[in-house]
Amino acid sequence: MSLHSTNRARPRKPWQWIDIRGRRTGMWAFALNRLTGIGLVVYLYLHFVMLSQLFIGRAAWDGFVELAHSPLVLAFDVVLFAGLIIHGLNGFRVALNGFGIGVRQQKTFFYGLMAVGALLLAISTYLIFTL
Amino acid sequence: MQTTATVNTPAQPRSAIGTLGWIWQVVTGAALIPLAGLHMIAQHFMVEGGLRGFDQVQSYLSNPIVWPIELLFLISVVSHALLGVRAILIDLGPSPRLARLIDPILWVVGIVSVAYGAWLTYAIVSAA
Repeated sequence: MSLHSTNRARPRKPWQWIDIRGRRTGMWAFALNRLTGIGLVVYLYLHFVMLSQLFIGRAAWDGFVELAHSPLVLAFDVVLFAGLIIHGLNGFRVALNGFGIGVRQQKTFFYGLMAVGALLLAISTYLIFTL
Repeated sequence: MQTTATVNTPAQPRSAIGTLGWIWQVVTGAALIPLAGLHMIAQHFMVEGGLRGFDQVQSYLSNPIVWPIELLFLISVVSHALLGVRAILIDLGPSPRLARLIDPILWVVGIVSVAYGAWLTYAIVSAA
């Protein structure tokens, strides 16, 4: 029995993370986790900047709240939720695998969690645009 | 010949960031599921319009149960994020000289980030 995870070696260059040509599910999972992780770190620090409006004062915060209700920002919120859901669920799988749980079923596990993620994203999108 | 395709773990944790860092990333990752969930529900989904107004934020953060939870959330999210950044930077194969700088820089960034978030919370609450 041969056990292989990708057709090629694990990428070291950042641009190789998104080059999924000829790669298997493992590379998709790896690339998704890396890209969503980077996106969420960028968002975290953007969030700090946004929250500084609270310190500036009521008028600054209210102005930001108004901006946050624009369709473009709401669309970014959907992207943010997609990142959170994918990274969270994939990270859950990686952590369990790290403890030796579900290693043999990890491909099924990955697809199952991404299906759950798609459902959660659909609910989140509905809430973002209707609240 | 039977072939078993597997899904790679996104990071080869123990070799890339060390056992302690990997455990801490798992612990904070697990903590972030309820903490981020609570943050999202309380700050966005339970509020009309999806965002609290200025007075609502002050009132929410003034709750003695809320601010320790938000502080725990802040520490968890910052350390989880910076451990992820560390894993990526090390995976890029920096020179030994550059690699030695990664940890101290990320520690400073992490401490400043948590201090800024805690100070911001305090400033908002004390302005009430």
